[in-house]
Amino acid sequence: MTRTRAPRELRAIGLICSLAFAFPGLYLIWRNFTSGADPLGLLFDSRTLEPFWRTVRLAVLVSLSAATLGTALAWCTTRTDLPLRRLWRVLLPVPLVFPTFIGAAAFIRTLNPGGLANDVLGAIGVNETPELRGFFGAWLVLTLFCYPYVYLPVAARLRQLPGSFEQSALILGDTAPQAFRRVVLRQISGSLMAGTLLVFLYTISDFGAVQLMRYDTLTRAIESNYLARPPMAFALSLILLIFAGFVVLVERAVNRRLPEVKSRRISQPMMYPLGKWKAAATALVGGTLLFAVLAPSAALVDWAADGLLRTQRGGRPLTINFSKVIEAATNTLSSSVATGFVALLAVTPIAFLVGRYRDRIGRAAHSVVIATFAVPGILIALSLRFWTLKSGFFGDLLYDSMALLIFAYVVRFGSLAMGTALVAVKTVPDGLHDAASTLGADRWRRFRSVDLPVMRPGLLAAAGLVILSTMKELPISLIVAPIGFPTLTTRIFGSFEDAFVAEAGIMAVVLVCASALLSWFLVLRRADHL
Amino acid sequence: MTSSAARGVTVKDLEHSYSEEPVLHGVSLDVSPGESIALLGPSGCGKTTLLRLIAGLEKPSSGSMTIGEEIVAGSSWVPPDRRRVGMVFQDWALFPHLSVAKNVAYGISKSPSKDAEVTAALEMMDLAGLQDRMPATLSGGQQQRVALARALAPRPGVLLLDEPFSNLDTSLRIEVRTEVHQLLADLGITSIFVTHDQDEAFIVGDRVAVMRKGRIVQTDSPQALYHHPIDQWTAEFVGTVSVLKGNAASGFANCSLGSVAIDPHLSGSVDLVVRPEQLSITAGGDAQVQAVEYYGHDSMIFVALGNDQVRVRCGPSTKFSRGDQVQVQFTSDRALAFKSD
Repeated sequence: MTRTRAPRELRAIGLICSLAFAFPGLYLIWRNFTSGADPLGLLFDSRTLEPFWRTVRLAVLVSLSAATLGTALAWCTTRTDLPLRRLWRVLLPVPLVFPTFIGAAAFIRTLNPGGLANDVLGAIGVNETPELRGFFGAWLVLTLFCYPYVYLPVAARLRQLPGSFEQSALILGDTAPQAFRRVVLRQISGSLMAGTLLVFLYTISDFGAVQLMRYDTLTRAIESNYLARPPMAFALSLILLIFAGFVVLVERAVNRRLPEVKSRRISQPMMYPLGKWKAAATALVGGTLLFAVLAPSAALVDWAADGLLRTQRGGRPLTINFSKVIEAATNTLSSSVATGFVALLAVTPIAFLVGRYRDRIGRAAHSVVIATFAVPGILIALSLRFWTLKSGFFGDLLYDSMALLIFAYVVRFGSLAMGTALVAVKTVPDGLHDAASTLGADRWRRFRSVDLPVMRPGLLAAAGLVILSTMKELPISLIVAPIGFPTLTTRIFGSFEDAFVAEAGIMAVVLVCASALLSWFLVLRRADHL
Repeated sequence: MTSSAARGVTVKDLEHSYSEEPVLHGVSLDVSPGESIALLGPSGCGKTTLLRLIAGLEKPSSGSMTIGEEIVAGSSWVPPDRRRVGMVFQDWALFPHLSVAKNVAYGISKSPSKDAEVTAALEMMDLAGLQDRMPATLSGGQQQRVALARALAPRPGVLLLDEPFSNLDTSLRIEVRTEVHQLLADLGITSIFVTHDQDEAFIVGDRVAVMRKGRIVQTDSPQALYHHPIDQWTAEFVGTVSVLKGNAASGFANCSLGSVAIDPHLSGSVDLVVRPEQLSITAGGDAQVQAVEYYGHDSMIFVALGNDQVRVRCGPSTKFSRGDQVQVQFTSDRALAFKSD
């Protein structure tokens, strides 16, 4: 509320945090113009433009297919008499627990000789197993693992949309498809756009999947250039940064003009009988789950089991070094939990400034943190890596340190905590503070006895979202993690160069299980789509 | 549980504004120890702001305030947590993460006999047995009583209530306000409460301060307010009236009711403000019944009288119905009248 001004210390913290969040992006831009190369010349070089067009092509097509698939699945599970729809609603968000590069690896490995799918196909007489590579592979994997970003918000919106809208349209003479286009689509367009934006941003920032599929997008070009030709990597990064920013601004501008009535559901949602379409709808949902959940899970389990059961299968015995698995898992756990809590410490003051005091500095800081959401991880990694190489004292201090890794993670994922933390701050009604004041509590006691307990679930969820994403993070872990600090993702990713060593399969299963468990507690259990 | 020493409240020339928008203009109010005052006014008149200023939840732009002997605003400033003023909020503001007992104990956390005091407060509010329940599991009436118990537990010298009954449904509201009225009277505590409901103000308030557009227009007992409102707005705001145009000369006004006795100081064109119980009707005449609202204990009859419409209160056995020709008489000795502009 406007009636009290934010404490000065809080505003100072907010200011410092926002500068820290803005730093990697700003440093990247600055380096472009000081690295001695000709950034504008490089911008129009075919070596930069080609990866750029590949990124655009991939992102546009993945967004389109994920938006279509996500919306179709949401509609089928919320608006029709599809059999088992409660079960589908639980299963359809599951692909989110697979980091895309692990999904890609599962597909590649299972189709390779020795892989499960290869064996199965061989057994039924198909000897030419298809190979997943290049554009098609990247598109397929990203679509399969990203559609829940669209499915979740659209399904939530559909369930909340009163059935009376569609019923009115039908009574006024629309057919069901007309009603969908003229009424429903208008009402879900905001959620659809927001979800599609997530897919788009994910695709342009994805590094692991395109690397494994050998499809040369900007992120892959940046990674292959950053050691040998830094100016080139900087120019590519600048394009990626500008592109991401541009996309977010366009989405904002369009989304602001969309009519989305904030309606509370009073009537039951509309329910369409599928009739003869029942088989087709079941095939769509079942097929999606087969390729996005069942196939990668089976491939991962087979991969992990391969190392353990090789002797029984008559192969050469492998030595599994379990201490490597435990080391990587411990590193992943410790760094992501630390990131979760540091992110909370960074964004909670900003959430207080915005939610409680409507402070101007707070709002600016909030915008900065939210904007970092669009900055791909590889850019943050690159920027910080070069900064520690270039700058004197602080660079030496932070070079190759855990602190730098955590900082990079926090900048990358702090925006995820921001929204939830802001909601948590706003869940504390002003009235509770007033009541505590009149009962004799000073500011510190009010914070301790009212704010903290009421905000706790929200803040823990915010930290959890950050932990979940950090666990699955790849490019920052690859580029910024100190030497001798392998995480699950870097080990798994490294193993692909190493002919898919058996430990990597076990690590992938560990990572996916941990991610599934955390997702369940944080997101799915609370989501209103179930 | 005994009450603490009741303290008086004196407010002098209080001014307040929200982001440049003035909401209170020179408000003065004197509340004696043990007295119950209702702040009555339409929404946006500044009554809740005045209550929040007394609690110390807002700082006035200028003016001064004393609670008991202590200057709390003006030449010095006492923050809300040191004013020892109890407050019951419109939404009750119960701490959702604390049990009933812990909510009540919040304001007396340092008291050595905390447990006994909580038990006493809960018993007084008829809440025994609910101490371990969470607020969200209670009914509206129970939450209301917990809020009151919590506010009273630290034995404040003054109790402030912000629309305390507005979140209850009608039948419960009537029951609860009678209970609260008796409780406050028994405790002898100074209480100031905000309401937009005239019945509520009249029942619970020893005196009623009518507020309009950031000013206190009149502070008086309910009877004085009803019978001698200071201006036409107050007359219309407090109770039901019919307003008739009239022409005044030497103590009488000519209007559609005929000649009616008014304040002899008035002359020229006036507005007569007539209460429904000051009128009666009989069958046969020029006036016509337009509508009848039957309430059970009595009824209200809307009558077209020339160009005016008047409301007449009748007994529960009225026989009139829409379209009847009737005659309206003024049955009181004198009508309220105000110079019309």
